[in-house]
Amino acid sequence: MFYREAGQFKTNYAADQQIFPLLQDRIGIAIVLALGFLVVPALAADYWFSAILTPFLVFSLAAIGLNILTGYAGQLSLGTAAFMAVGAFAAYNFVLRLPGLPHVVSFLLAGVCAALVGMAFGLPSLRIKGFYLAVATLAAQFFVVWALQKFPWFTNNSASGVISAQPVHVLGLALDSPRRNYLFVLTIVSVLALLAKNLARSNTGRQWMAVRDMDVAAEVIGIPLLRTKLLAFAVSSFYCGVAGALYAFCYIGTVEPEAFSLDMSFRVLFMVIIGGAGTILGSFVGAAFFVVLPIFLSIAIPAAAQLLHLPFNKASVTYIEYMSFGALIIFFLIVEPHGLARLWQITKEKLRLWPFPH
Amino acid sequence: MSAPQGAVLLEVQGISLSFGGVRALNDISFDVRAGEIRAIIGPNGAGKSSMLNVINGVYHPQQGVIVFRGQPRARMNPHAAAFQGIARTFQNIALFKGMSVLDNLMTGRCTRMHRHFLWHALHLGPARREELAHRARVEEIIDFLEIQHIRKTPVGRLPYGLQKRVELGRALAAEPSLLLLDEPMAGMNVEEKQDMCRFVLDVNEQFGTTIVLIEHDMGVVMDISHRVVVLDYGRKIGDGTPEQIRANQEVIDAYLGVSH
Repeated sequence: MFYREAGQFKTNYAADQQIFPLLQDRIGIAIVLALGFLVVPALAADYWFSAILTPFLVFSLAAIGLNILTGYAGQLSLGTAAFMAVGAFAAYNFVLRLPGLPHVVSFLLAGVCAALVGMAFGLPSLRIKGFYLAVATLAAQFFVVWALQKFPWFTNNSASGVISAQPVHVLGLALDSPRRNYLFVLTIVSVLALLAKNLARSNTGRQWMAVRDMDVAAEVIGIPLLRTKLLAFAVSSFYCGVAGALYAFCYIGTVEPEAFSLDMSFRVLFMVIIGGAGTILGSFVGAAFFVVLPIFLSIAIPAAAQLLHLPFNKASVTYIEYMSFGALIIFFLIVEPHGLARLWQITKEKLRLWPFPH
Repeated sequence: MSAPQGAVLLEVQGISLSFGGVRALNDISFDVRAGEIRAIIGPNGAGKSSMLNVINGVYHPQQGVIVFRGQPRARMNPHAAAFQGIARTFQNIALFKGMSVLDNLMTGRCTRMHRHFLWHALHLGPARREELAHRARVEEIIDFLEIQHIRKTPVGRLPYGLQKRVELGRALAAEPSLLLLDEPMAGMNVEEKQDMCRFVLDVNEQFGTTIVLIEHDMGVVMDISHRVVVLDYGRKIGDGTPEQIRANQEVIDAYLGVSH
């Protein structure tokens, strides 16, 4: 098989430490980027951008954020949607109250706000772990949504609590079409995913994983536990915050606390679990699974019902969608509890030897 | 082996440690000279691991002082001990199971890596140079421990003996001045023990690292250590060269039992 490291000798550490040491991987990622930036915008219809690709990218970014915290640093969190809400409302207020600020800067500052809130709710992580920490971050989920509804300053005294997001301009271009929104989101997600990958393979990432795998040994080695955990909370919440801003401004077009419910926190957590905790690739795969599969099922199941002449009405088709989706989640968790990214890794290991079994 | 007559690197003075009503250590004093291999032996429950935990700050003794490099201290945390140059291995292997051998060893160098996480995210300039420089140092340790073939293998997949060796490597990666080894040869077969003895002696001779080790295999202890401390029920019952310890009646009684 062509997909292996045979013949690709590394003669220095810099070459050995590239993000993609394999030539095939580098070609693959170049093709994916070319598809995303050039081919898809030229071919796809608006429906694809607004219903599939943009939400997929936004949720990928949120999943990367949670993956940094849960997959790399081992701190379970159920507050993802809260940090996204902080990002969305901070972006709204930056755009509203500081009109001179470029919108991209507002979005990044919104991420910084989310990072600060994330650090505050990460403080208990020094004393509590696992499920108990998850419950503590649940407090963030309820507190943030409550605070956004309670204090009208956040929503600029809007009566309904639902505000339409301001139109976004980037480098003088208005993001007024689904295609432009998609390209903007794709650019931000690509850059942030690269930065996350760099962090994960650096000293910072190793310290996170050390705390995840064995915190006592990590401390004896000289890793400051609180600082490492808080940094994980901050970086994770930054990613979630930017994702929240993009969700509000480039996907649904409104800013409302109700959109960032506990349900969304769970969705992002499931994306991380199904995609693969502790991998950047897994965040994308998990998000694709959650965004694309329901759409696929909503097309496939009515078609199948029609084909088999089964007397399904619209409501029962919806229920069957939910059931198949749930069944698929359970199926993948049983087949590969380490996530879909792990399946890909196993495939790569098998391909090294293919067509021989050993 | 003749004991090095270097300056005293570590001095333990009158350490007492209790957990509730249990006295783990009772007025223990001994010293460790720079460049020597110092063994702590004793029956199970004698307080050997507690002693190591006191030295690197995991446990805080109720009484007593620890003088390291002439600096006395009563309380400290393990993180500060690591920055002062104390590294250790654990009785039950405490490696980071999800990470590769290389990453485990690189983590051992974290006290020497100072770049900000924003540099890490960009992976440019200073952060990149720092990473490569430390990689080169870690590769020297990989060569030294003869684990080149497993450097990219996740630690969880390695057999027990190799995991012990990787854990030694992670401690060495910090370039410690004092290395604490908690039963480095426990559960190993004869060949693995011989390898580990060779590494311990080489570390001591080539790097000049001072070593404090806990070990149950008396043959190993008497062969490789310069001086031995014997603990029993939290008390010190012997201190001296292996020859002196062999001849010490109290030590013989503690190990063989005494008829009443």
